[in-house]
Order: sequence, then C-alpha cells, then structure tokens
Amino acid sequence: MQRRDFIRITAASGAVAALEGCGNPDHQLIRFVPEEDLLPGIATWKPSICTLCPAGCGTLVRVMQGEAEVVRNGQLGILKMGLAKKIEGNPAHPINQGKLCPRGHAALQVTYHPDRIKTPLERTGQRGSGQFKEITWDAAIQQLVAQLSPRPTAANGWFGFITPPLRGQRKTIVDAFCDALAGNHIEFAFLAPEVISHANSESFGHGGLPTVDLSQSNYVISFGADFLGTWNSPVAQSIGYGNMRKGRAGQRGKFVHFESRVSQTAASADEWIPSRPGMDGALALGLAHVILRDKLRPATSAGQAGLLIDGWSAGLPDFAPEKVEQQSGVSRATIVRIAHEAADNSPSVALIGDAPAAHTNGLFNARAANALNALLGSVGKPGGINFSPAVGLRGTERLRSKAELSRMEGPGSIPIYDAVSPGTKPPQVLLLHDANLVFSTPAGQQPREMIEKAGFIASFSSFIDDTSAFADLILPDHSPLESWLDDAPESGSMHTVVSLAPPSMAPLHNTRSMPDVLLDLAQRLGGNVAKALPWKTYDEALQAAFTNLYNEKGKQSAKDADEFWSKAQTQGGWWSANEKPAPAGKAIPYPKLNPNPEFDGNADSFPFYFQPFASQMFYDGSLAHLPWMQEAPDPLSSVMWGTWVEINNRTAEKLGVKMGDTVEVASAHGKLQAPALVTPAIAPDVIAMPLGQGHENFTRYATGRGANPISILAPTTVEGTGSLAWAATRVRISRVGEGKIVMFGASMEETPQDTKHR
Amino acid sequence: MAHQWGMVIDLDRCTGCEACVVACHAENNISTVGEDQAARGRAKHWIRVERYFEGEFPDLKTKFMPVLCQQCDAAPCEPVCPTFASYHTIEGLNGQVYNRCIGTRYCANACPYNVRFFNWYNPEWEKPLNLQLNPDVSIREVGIMEKCTFCVQRIKAGEIQAAAEKRALKDGEVQPACVQSCPTKAMVFGDLSDPDSEVSRLARGNRGTKLLGELGTLPKVTYLQKDSWHGSENA
Amino acid sequence: MAAKTPDQMTDDLLRPLEGASGRYWTALAFFGGIVIAALCAFAWQVYGGIGVAGIRRPVFWGFYITNFVFWIGLSHAGTLISAILRLANATWRRPVTRCAEVITVFALSIGATFPVIHLGRPWLAFWLFPYPSERGIWPNIRSPLLWDFFAINTYLLGSVTFLLLPMIPDMALIRDRATGLRKKVYSVVSIGWRGTPKQWHRLESAMQIMAVAVIPVAVSVHSIVSWDFAMAPVPAWHSTIFAPYFVCGAIFSGIAALIIAMALLRKFLHLEEYLLRIHFENLGKLLLVMSLLWFYFVFAERLTIWYGNEPSEMTVFWVTQTGSFSPLFWLMVICNFVIPFPILAIKKLRTITGCVIASIGVVIGMWLERFLIIVPSLSHKYLPYSFGTYRPTWVEITITAGTFAAMALLYMLFSKTVPIISIWELKAAPQTQSGHAPALAPVGQEGAD
Repeated sequence: MQRRDFIRITAASGAVAALEGCGNPDHQLIRFVPEEDLLPGIATWKPSICTLCPAGCGTLVRVMQGEAEVVRNGQLGILKMGLAKKIEGNPAHPINQGKLCPRGHAALQVTYHPDRIKTPLERTGQRGSGQFKEITWDAAIQQLVAQLSPRPTAANGWFGFITPPLRGQRKTIVDAFCDALAGNHIEFAFLAPEVISHANSESFGHGGLPTVDLSQSNYVISFGADFLGTWNSPVAQSIGYGNMRKGRAGQRGKFVHFESRVSQTAASADEWIPSRPGMDGALALGLAHVILRDKLRPATSAGQAGLLIDGWSAGLPDFAPEKVEQQSGVSRATIVRIAHEAADNSPSVALIGDAPAAHTNGLFNARAANALNALLGSVGKPGGINFSPAVGLRGTERLRSKAELSRMEGPGSIPIYDAVSPGTKPPQVLLLHDANLVFSTPAGQQPREMIEKAGFIASFSSFIDDTSAFADLILPDHSPLESWLDDAPESGSMHTVVSLAPPSMAPLHNTRSMPDVLLDLAQRLGGNVAKALPWKTYDEALQAAFTNLYNEKGKQSAKDADEFWSKAQTQGGWWSANEKPAPAGKAIPYPKLNPNPEFDGNADSFPFYFQPFASQMFYDGSLAHLPWMQEAPDPLSSVMWGTWVEINNRTAEKLGVKMGDTVEVASAHGKLQAPALVTPAIAPDVIAMPLGQGHENFTRYATGRGANPISILAPTTVEGTGSLAWAATRVRISRVGEGKIVMFGASMEETPQDTKHR
Repeated sequence: MAHQWGMVIDLDRCTGCEACVVACHAENNISTVGEDQAARGRAKHWIRVERYFEGEFPDLKTKFMPVLCQQCDAAPCEPVCPTFASYHTIEGLNGQVYNRCIGTRYCANACPYNVRFFNWYNPEWEKPLNLQLNPDVSIREVGIMEKCTFCVQRIKAGEIQAAAEKRALKDGEVQPACVQSCPTKAMVFGDLSDPDSEVSRLARGNRGTKLLGELGTLPKVTYLQKDSWHGSENA
Repeated sequence: MAAKTPDQMTDDLLRPLEGASGRYWTALAFFGGIVIAALCAFAWQVYGGIGVAGIRRPVFWGFYITNFVFWIGLSHAGTLISAILRLANATWRRPVTRCAEVITVFALSIGATFPVIHLGRPWLAFWLFPYPSERGIWPNIRSPLLWDFFAINTYLLGSVTFLLLPMIPDMALIRDRATGLRKKVYSVVSIGWRGTPKQWHRLESAMQIMAVAVIPVAVSVHSIVSWDFAMAPVPAWHSTIFAPYFVCGAIFSGIAALIIAMALLRKFLHLEEYLLRIHFENLGKLLLVMSLLWFYFVFAERLTIWYGNEPSEMTVFWVTQTGSFSPLFWLMVICNFVIPFPILAIKKLRTITGCVIASIGVVIGMWLERFLIIVPSLSHKYLPYSFGTYRPTWVEITITAGTFAAMALLYMLFSKTVPIISIWELKAAPQTQSGHAPALAPVGQEGAD
C-alpha cells in the first residue's frame, strides 16, 4: 500500500480524530449535524441592519464557517455553522454608504455575549431579585396567553407594551397587537427626538428628524447637537462633514458649535463657543436679530417658522445682541460676527439637538433654530436641512408626535409621557421590549413606579438588565444578527429607504424572534387578534409588506413581487431616489412658550448646571454590556471601564479636587459618587456626566460599574411636549476623597510641546 | 516594482469618533484586558485617537490625531530586535513575526510613537465571544509583541485574489479595517510607489506632515494638517 | 604590629574554612530564604505571565533591567581593579584581589540572569544563542542585545578564568593539609599543582595576559550595556556620553561593593590583621576619584541637555530635576556625592567605618541612578498622550531583594570553601613596617611580584 493511502485510511478511520481529542475537552462534546453547508475559510457577505441606534445604517456581515458550542434539546454539543465574524458598512446603503461608527462594529458582541439569556426564564425569587429558572417555550407562551386572554377593562386593568420608537413591520405588528387587545403601545427612549420632531411639525409641517445635507454646506452652526457622534444619523452626517471640509476643491466649510462643554462634535469645530445651558434658542434668535437688523435677509423669508416666534416681524427686539450676551454668556461681538458669516456664506445651516432640546424651554429652542434655518434659506435646499421622502405605507412610517397621531387612522403608539401621567394606575399586564426604564428614568418618576407595581411583567430582553430583572417571565429575543430585520429610517438620506435583511446566521441559543412570538400569541389568542395578525412568521409579514411596496413603488425595479422580494434581500433593502418628500402638512397649533429655561434646584444650594450627555461608546447606556465599548477610550476623556464627572479645571482647583478624586454630585432628588475628570473643556459653572454606566444589573461587564446620571435628575418636563427635560437639573458637588480613574491617555493637563504636527 | 504601502490621514476630516479603533479590534482579534489591567496600562489599541487641547477656557481648541504604526522605512524597532521578529518587508511594511518574538520589549522602547503593544498575559475570550475571532489573524500568546500591520491579512488576500485573476491590484481595492470604516473618509490607504494613487496624490499636498519626522524614522503615514477657514487648497 | 610567619598567615587565612558558627547558619538560612522567595516569584511570573510584574506601556523596562545594569556594573570593580592594580604593581592590592574577583564573578552571574528573567517568553531565551536553527535565521547581530550576549559571556569567561587561575596554588595548599573527602575535592580543583618554578612561571604569564586582556573586555561590557539605551531614540537615552558614563558608574559601584564586602569579611572572618585601614583608605581614595568623575559625567550630561532645550529631553529633565522623580534624583545625588565626598576627602573621616558608610550610600545611589536612567525617559517619550507611570509589584521587589540575598549567599558560601584572601600572593609580598600587609616571599621564589 502506498504511504499516501495509508495516511488517508488512518485519518478516515478516526485515528487522527482520536489523537485530536487528547487533552482537549471540547472535542469530547458530541457533534450535531450541521444545518448548513459552508466551505471552511471562505467568507460570504450578508446584508444586515444596525439596530444599536435609531440611524438605521445598512451593514454587511462577514459569515464564515466555525464551530460553536450550543445546547440543542438540552444537550451540550458542537455545531458547525455559519458564524458572523465582522460587521462592516454596506457600500450600497444610502444612509451610511459603506461606513460604520464604533458601535456598529460592537454589535457582533451582542450575539456572542457570554451573559445572553439562552432560554425562556420564569421568576423564582422576589420581583427584582434577578432570580429565575429555565422553562420551555411552550410553558412560557402558555403563561403569556393566560395573562393576555382576559381583555383589559376597568376591572382587569390595562395592558401596555413598551418598546423603543419602532419602525417598519415590527411597529406594524406591535401596533396591531396592542390595538387588537385594546392595549397601549408605548414608546420610550431616553434620547427620544420628540421635541425636535414636534418643532419641525410646527415650523415646517414635517414631523421627524431632518436629513442634513452637510456635504454642500458652507457654514454649519450647531447648537449642542452631537451630530458627529450620537445625534440623529451620525455616520451619514460624518460623511457629509468630511465632504464639507475637504471634499470640494477650493472650498472648505466652517463649523461653529455652541455648547457649555466640548462634546466630541464640538471638538471638531473651528470655534467652540461656550454658552450657558438652555440659552440656545436665545442665541439662535440673537443671530436672527442681527440678520434682520442688518438687512441680510427679509423677515418674511422665514415663513411659518418665523411666525412661531413672538416679535419676529418686529425684528426680535427681545433678542438684541446685548440682551443675548447677558443671557447666554456669548459676547455681542461674536454674535454679530457669526450672524454675518452665516448669512454671507450660503448655504448655511443650523442644527439643534441633544441637551438644548432637553431643557424646559427645549421646544422653544428648537423653534428658534428652525426659524434661523428658515431665515438663512436652508430648509429644503442643498446644504441645508431636508425631510426624507416618506414611504406612505402603513406601518413603514414612524409616527412622530401626539399631534400627528390624531391625523393617523388606525393603531398607533404614544410616547411614554403621554401614556403615563401622575395618578395613572400601574398596568395589569406589561410587555417590555428593549426598554430599560429602571435605568433610564429618574428614580421618583412615574414610569419606574409602573414597573415596580405592574401586575404581570413579561420581557423579550436578551439580557438581564436593570428592568428585565423585574420581569416575571422572560422570552429572550434573537440577537439582531439572528433575526429578520427591516427598517424605514426617517433621516440620513434623501433617498427613500426601506432596509431589509434575512438573518445573517442561525440562532445560537434557544431564543425566538420577538415578532414571531407575537404572531404565535396572536394565533393562540384567536378572534380579532388572530385576524389582525394573519401571518405565521415575521418574514411572511415582511414579504406581505414588500408585496405592497412592490405594487405601489417597485414595479420599475423588478418583474414581479417575488423578484422584488429576493432582490431586496440580496441588496439589503429597497431604495429609490425618485420619491419626492411629502408636502408640508397642515399648520398645527403652537402654544406660546416661555423662552427661558427653568432649572430644578435653587442656585444657592445647587450652584452648578448638570449636563448628562450621550456617550460615544454607550450611547444612552444600552451598550454598556459590550466589552469593546467598555475598553474603547472615550474620545475626549480617554476613560475606559468607568464613568466620570467633568469639572472645569479652575473650579476644581477652588474645590480642591484633583483628577481622579471621588466627588459627590447631589441634586434635590438624589446623589451619586464618581471620579472627577478635571478639564479645561467645560464652563466653570457646569458639571457634565456621560450616560451609560451605573447599571445595577447588566451582565458581568457593566453591573455595578460607575454611576448613572439619570438617577439624580429632576422629573422636570419640556414645556409643550411633556418629555423629560433631562438637562434642567442643578447640582452641587463636593470632594469625597481620593479615587481612581482609568484613562488610556495621559493626564489632560499635558499639552504637546511642539504643536506643529498635532 | 513591489507595492509600497502607505497611508494618509486628513486631520481636517477626523472627528475622533474611534470607529477605526473598534474596527481594528474586531478585525485583528485584539483581546480586551478588563478594568484592572487597563488601569495598569495594558490595553492594546493598535490605533488610538490622541486628543490634545490648546489654549485655555474659553478659547480652547481640541485636536484629534489617530496614531498607528507608521511602518517606518528607517524603523528604530527593527535593528534592536535580537530575533528578527520585527523586520522590514519588501512591500515597505514593518512586519511583526509573532513566532519569533521572545518578548525583550526593546522594540517597544525604541518606537517613538508608542504604537507597540505587549501581551502581558495569555488573552482570554469568555465563551462564546471566541466565536467573533477572525480566522485570518493569529492569536498572540503571552510574551509576544503586537501592533498594527496595515491589515496585512487583507493585503495578502487582495494580492492573492488579483494574482489568481491575472491582474494588478486596483487603487483602493485593499483597505485596512480602519480605513474602510472611517465615516469622514479621513483615512486613505494605497501604494506610494504608484504616483497616481490617491494616497500618493494626497501625500504630496501642501498640508502634509510627518509625525516626529525629525527623528529620521521615515514614517509612511502622512498627516494632512487641520486647515483654517479660508484654506485655499483641497488637498 | 608583629610580623606573621608564613605558617601563621596560612592558619589565619584557612581558619574561616573550618566549620561555621550558629550565626553563619542563621544568616545563610535568612539569605537562602529570600533567594527561594525570589525563585518562587519568578516561577509565578513564568506560570501566570509577565503581567504580574509592574511594567507596562510605555515603561516596558523597569526593575529587572535596572537590576541587570546595576549588577553588571557592580561586577566591574572586581576584575578591573584587580587587573589594573596588578599591572600597576600596587602591592597593597594583594589581600584585596580575590575579594574583588569574586564580586565580579557572582555579580556578573546574577546580572546575567536578568535578560532571561525579563523576557516575555523566557523559555525561548536560547534563541539568542547563534546556532543553526530550524527557523533558518541567525540572531540579529545588529541588536545591542546580541552584543550584550557576547560581551557578557566573554567577560564572564574571562572573569572566571581570572578568578580560578590564582586560586590554584591556594587550593593546592588546602589539599596538602586536608584529609579524606576534602583532600579528594581539593585535589580535583587544584589540578595537580606542585609549585614547581615552571608552573609558577606559567601561572604568572597567564595572569599577566589575563590582566591585560580583561581590561578592554570589562570596558566594552558596560559600554555595550549602555548602548542598550543609547542606541534607541528615546529622550535622554540617545546620548554619546553613555558609554564612558556607564563604565565610570560601574567602576564606582564596584569599588563601593568591594569596600563593603571587605569590611564584612574583616569583621566576620576576623581578618583585622590582613585587611588594614590602609587598604580601605586606598580604595576610598579610588572611590573619591570615581565619585568626582561620576559627578562630572552627570553634570556634563545634564548641562548639555538643559542648554540644548530640546522639548522631549527637557520634559525628562524637569521630571527628574523638580517633578515626580525628583525625590529619587536628589537622594541619588546625596548618596553618590554629597555624603561620600566629605567622608572620603577628609583624612580624619576616611576611616574604615567612614568608607563603609560612603560605600553603602554609593550602592544605593547607583541603583537609583540605573532606575532614573531607565524609567523617567520611558515614562515620557515624545507623545504626551502616551506618557505613563511605573509602579513595581511584589514580584519585581522580591526578585530584586533576591539578588542582594543571592550575592550575600554566594559570597558566604565561597568564603567558607576558598580562602577569601589569596594566601600565596600575600606571602609573596615584601615585608614592611608601616602597617602594610605582612608577607614573605615563598620559599624558592624570586621576584614574585
């Protein structure tokens, strides 16, 4: 026999396998039959959608064959399967055009997280203790059916389903489910854009977030909007920003940023202009005042947006530069100069978001910025703000505000602060999907009480977190990469975009897709619920929606609905440049608003403004469980694995606080302790803290780490929308003692000797 | 002529978002070290975004600068390695041969850019995070030095593919993970030996500088300095 | 002082080899315990990963390399002093030479363990050895670490030879007086010495050659060690002054170690009549010269840096002068100059005790100097964002303590098995009256100097 044959035969007979097994316990596990056939070492790229922030970027997932340790039918074994290895931006997707932010990459770790809930759980200990036992899907679904069968009545109590603001068919299904059960679909997000959306409805007749055409802007003014980091559609805006700077021969746009601290976006500004919290509206109107005064634009060019502002046609006498200087701390000379620069360098555009919209006068501030934009002529024009063409299909359009809600037919959803007011009884049955209320609402506020006092809570969460620890039943969702995904992003591109993605990989654990569970429940509940949700699986529902889309819009791009459907899956969705934005809606009532911000806590006991901010790595805190995000240094502070309190260096000197010292920050509603970050990049009377840490319960990487700024916020609301005014709290600060802060970069007090290269 | 890989980083476009940092971790199987080790200076960010402040409040300017291995043509890390673990490839990269490294850490001391990272312990990925590992990149065990390779696995894959198709590599066809991800397109990668490549063209621009160029390391990364408002040139 | 007969000298100098006191065993156990602790610490480091030490980015070298340079440096005085004094025919050297040569061999051996201890993968240390490997490459001869490898090994070989050669007649002396097993052991190490004129002539020629050869080797070793730093573009490392600066520092610390060793031997082995004040005085004068020379080098280097005002070098300058490292810096100056200078310059203070105090200061100061060369520069290279502070852990501290204990341990073992003062050389010196070491020419020997 030839040597070659001998080796082949020995290998085939398992001798090699036996040797492989030596010393490696993994190889003693049984091997399941693979469900798919992939060539080892060869990658396939599958389109997917990033769900970690509302921008809705399109991604491509690199899938390769690998071996995963999984449990099937209660048995641990090894399964050869296609595994997602890397997430990149999808070059074809109109929103992010192949690019991706750091969070998008980390989404991979959601699927492979060691603390993922692998199977349905039932509470065993006290509610909130986080003690659960494993149960089967059948048992879990039966429990839910039992809870949902009695329909909500005055006697039975009400039924609520809390989700983040949803889009696409997930919204359709949840809306329909809640409506059929006479329940409430409640939308909750800490960083919800209600205020901006509402202001846009009032000013322009278009609700929703704007799509900013930065690539053609010549002058960008940002009022506190972290548009390069976390606000609105950061990747799309970053692409535009890059073009604005260096993408056009001979032209470079200027960027000016007003904020009380240097956010990540402010750091890229040509001028960071510190301004008092809550005074962004005044500043915008100060600039408008100068433009009107110096006859750079006529008052009428601002249209409806201008009429919203008291005194507009009179030239805004209350917002003369001297007055605005007093209110905002920005010098009158600067106001005059910026106004002239903006007017002289069209296209110019103003952006507002984040903290300025989270003051008691947030709606006023947003209206003011809108008026400025309208005055500058940037609305609906290249280089300015635009509103993406909506696909007028039921279920693929996100509802923006309570006011618009009344215009819609059929089921809809309501923001949480409209659903739950003081005095509302807690729900009898509460379903939770991706809603960490316990973390994201201040302690004394109504929504949190709702969790604690609800009759029965079921969560679809993939992780035990601060809120799902209170659940009675957990029905773990697939991770996004394991799910059918669809989305209809509301901003980021002037294309109409409907994203679509089949799962990139088979589920690792014994989880089920949330919409699939709802559809199953609907069938079992029968009656009008089953009628409202006639599909067996989510992809069936998606295909139905896409058939509708094909009939209405897609006939050009495919010969029939089936081809349209499979093309969309391969490409990552359907998009079209041919749609026109919907015409401006009817004018909606705009009540008079107080232009000045009110703060909780009197200035004597609480001398500092408290500004929480979305963090580049953790966003609103929902990504703190991902180790890549914990270890990535924060761009401004370079802090890893921790949180910090930003204090101006002069202020810190006065208080005797050094870098890393533990400080106590106290509002009238609570206090917390965290290490101090002494920095020149914040106003002396402002204290800032990133969102993200301070989870009591959120996997091994985030549990018990740092402090949560939301916990000390006052339950103040934004006038006109009722949303939480999270920038309206005042605090005091004192040194507790020495502490520790983990930073990747050396102390901020170091400055480079030779700045030529940096 | 062999490719000479180089990069241009436009500091006027960079916003410090750190997409490059996380993309690199994901692509190159860089293990996270955890809070305690990070506190002891053991975190491994092959590319990092340095942040500098200039001036005082309220006239404060912030500057971001992504720093990664400059693949120096006169690399100080190469002559000092006793086992040739750090060496210069014919394509102009500073290669790091993990198998040869015995961990004297001389190279890391000699590197003026502090872009070399050491494995102080054996890396760990708590299951099933190990499934995220890229099969194209080796895992480095304790005692081995590592650093940015310009995603040499992608370069090699691209060259092999082009050779199989009997054609040359197109400009921009191969992109390291950081370059691919950068939303503002601040990073450009390509062949410096091709005068028409985008990277060569941009490197010739009048905003181009070299980080610590005065040390004579001949770095292959050109930084385009942040411009002022009335900057006159595109490049 | 009455002159001693050759036999009396032999008795005095061999007495330490006969038995040991309780105090000796206690001390041996104490030092042995620390050495074992150090070995355990190292084993822990190999098992757990070198991360158990305090080194980090950007301070990739810390205590281990400090110890490396320190111990290699310490090894210089021995052989160098011995060789130079031989060539200069300084008669007062005779009781001192073996003490010195032993310091060299042990310090060098201890120092040479650190290139292995500090490796990330120490089990592959043998790759520094030039052998035809399956990897198809030889070690990189351009690397200063390879120069270290060759230089230290050469020096070690030379020093061991320089130590062992003149030991032979003494080993023969013991052999002649011993019985049983001891006789057998010492027969082996005395390799058939009979004391014939031809053998004496050969010995003397060999010593002459070694004395001349070992000097350039010794100078080269610490120059090469200094180039581990000077060849890297690190602020305040990349300086042409490093080679002579390090050689000076090495001799400086070596003489101090020698003085301390001699004082201890004098006390514990009752060698008061052999190691006299004049020996300490002469070495003390050498120490003074080295202290001045050390001060000159430090001053010249710092003046040049300060005048040049290069930003990254000035960062390192200020951080040692007035910043976080300044307490250590000024302690070093006090230990290396402020204390030794008056003690050694003023005759009244230049007693044995005085010299020992000065020497202890110098040993501490020179250890600090190695630390201050390595760590501040690495902590503050060119890019401020990457500055970092170093804090040693128990592993590094234990291993460092272990080296000092190992030195003491080895010295104690040696002094119980080999006469620490070279008997035949002492006997070969001409007799004087003014307190110089009494010696008689050996029978039948002419011009033994």
